[in-house]
Amino acid sequence: MAREAAATSPLRAFKDPALPLPEACDDERVWLAALRCIPADRAATLLSVARTLCPHDALPDAVYRRVVLQIDRACEGQPQALGWVTESVAALDAHFGLPFAGLSESYRVTALKALAGMPAFRFLQRATVRFLYDDLAVWQAFGYEGASYPHGGYVDRGFNDLAWLPPVPLEPLR
Amino acid sequence: MSMYALSDTDVIVVIGSGAGGGTLAHELCKRGAQVVLLESGKQLAPTDYVNDEWAGYEMLSWLDKRTASGNWRVGADHPEAPVWHCETVGGTTAHWSGCTYRLQAHEFQPLTTYGPMAGSSLIDWPVTLAEMAPYYDAAEQKMNVAGTQGRPPLPANNNYAVMYWGAKRLGLTEVSTGRHAINAVPGDGRPASLQDGFTITGDKHGARWSTANVEIPRALATGRLELRSRSRAVRIEHEDAGRACAVVYADAAGTLQRQSARAVVLAANCVESSRLLLHSHSARFPNGLANGWGQVGRHYMRHVVQTVWSIFDEPVHMHRGEIMAGLVADFAPHDPARGFNGGYYIELNSMGLPTLAMLMEPGWWGRDFASVMERYAHIAGLYMTGEDMPYADNRITLRSDETDRFGVPVANVHYDDHANDLAMRNHGYKQMAAIHRAAGARRCIETPAYPATHNMGSNRMSAKAEDGVVDGWGRAHEVPNLFVADGSQFSSSGAANPTLTIVALAIRQAEAMARSMAAGDL
Repeated sequence: MAREAAATSPLRAFKDPALPLPEACDDERVWLAALRCIPADRAATLLSVARTLCPHDALPDAVYRRVVLQIDRACEGQPQALGWVTESVAALDAHFGLPFAGLSESYRVTALKALAGMPAFRFLQRATVRFLYDDLAVWQAFGYEGASYPHGGYVDRGFNDLAWLPPVPLEPLR
Repeated sequence: MSMYALSDTDVIVVIGSGAGGGTLAHELCKRGAQVVLLESGKQLAPTDYVNDEWAGYEMLSWLDKRTASGNWRVGADHPEAPVWHCETVGGTTAHWSGCTYRLQAHEFQPLTTYGPMAGSSLIDWPVTLAEMAPYYDAAEQKMNVAGTQGRPPLPANNNYAVMYWGAKRLGLTEVSTGRHAINAVPGDGRPASLQDGFTITGDKHGARWSTANVEIPRALATGRLELRSRSRAVRIEHEDAGRACAVVYADAAGTLQRQSARAVVLAANCVESSRLLLHSHSARFPNGLANGWGQVGRHYMRHVVQTVWSIFDEPVHMHRGEIMAGLVADFAPHDPARGFNGGYYIELNSMGLPTLAMLMEPGWWGRDFASVMERYAHIAGLYMTGEDMPYADNRITLRSDETDRFGVPVANVHYDDHANDLAMRNHGYKQMAAIHRAAGARRCIETPAYPATHNMGSNRMSAKAEDGVVDGWGRAHEVPNLFVADGSQFSSSGAANPTLTIVALAIRQAEAMARSMAAGDL
């Protein structure tokens, strides 16, 4: 995955160069092999959970796979968190007696709502939001430009380029 | 750097290197005092800071567990992190957005102005705005505050243009980019802002004042400061006569050390300062040091704080530029006709996508949530900070069932919203939404308060010993060489962001301590 997101919109998003980049997760088999504590069948359910909690139809699966990969890393050495994953996947699959990942969207929402209020749900919902919206491809897609200091900030790059309102009058010195 | 012996009884030990402790250490050194500054966090360089919200949060924040109770929304949303401050050299000045507003005259006399309020423990400050004015002047000078004393204010950014036109169309008049300890033009050896939008993760450029880039280096240059980072204070000791005599702290290796002291200053941010006093109990102070009146930890305040995010047809790009460079002061005066006591400021607010998603409505998920996030580039933000009233039961206590790795009990933060707070919250939400609607907002989202960065009152100043913990100079009523220099000394919260008042009080406190030392009574 490139540090600079692919330019699909006029804005370009950047990660701070000091920070590590996540694995690309473009290939499903490579992604599954990279998981350390979440088994493949549960990972597929979590992928569907992430897409249901934060449904962005235009985002590729790789973005959601990276979320699951980071949940996997967050569960390493954390038996309580791993227990929440196991517990919620079992409850979601049991809700209609059909595999969660194969449910229609309204059924997936219904099954998730049945978990609301449980610590396991709170963990999954928070973790999905935490990791998904920290993803460079998501920043790029929604117009958040990320790290700016390496590019000189915005002083010459549009911090005051809003043109749909009249110019703001200069303030007098106080 | 000076090095003082652990047995040196001439040094003043300051706990915490943020706005209060870092400033006080410098002001004391300038006056000839010898100071050991204990900071729990690491020393970081500007090159260590990152332009990344989560990585910056994890790098700078105090992450030790707390617990929360009470009816406040923060307690439910952030049950193990109800308070947000930093643990690094520079304290929370490594993170802050630079807002530097003075308390108003009436805010030093809230009991006189508002009258007694049912259930509230409101008191007047033992100091007035007139007494504070020269120290505010000195603080603005020290911090090179843009928009004061002839210095140009920060320029208008995109998010401000939305605030400005919305407010003007509503007929509001007290609208400006505000006053910030961030350089609009080069000054005091620091560059002008690059408008990079990342003051909250450490300000790599150094345009903003912090104790890490101004006060502590200048204190070190006097040759009288020893800065000990990664040194976590765990207990304050006193001698038989009741004077503080040492601070026990864990060094970088986790080994307990005992630094003797001529005087001890607590500036560890509200929760930690009260926690240290409560934990430093003894036969003489069975309920905690300086807590004979049972006031330590009580009257905790965190401002009426909340945000409105609004979606516009056209792009805003609120993440570009200084985060809080906008101010509407029309609602700052006390106006009981509004249905509540005290006032509030509306300020600019922006967040990057990572924290906006987490904090806009914690727990929110589904299609509607996702559709709002997709509009990120079209979102503008407003924030309010208003005076919350003190209540004796809004307080910091120590848990009896859980300790940290140093054996110090975990702190619980209890906060209930009261009627005045709710009336102000309601008013503020409506005004912020009205400003954005007047600028063309399609949808306004009322975001709840997040973990408190304005932490005040839990070791408060009082004229009478029975009403608080410290006197008008931040000196403990019961321990003559023990001082408080952070926001926990505030008698009431006022509406303004607290940092400028903390810095002004630290300058004044250093003067008073130097006078006491010269007179031989400290």
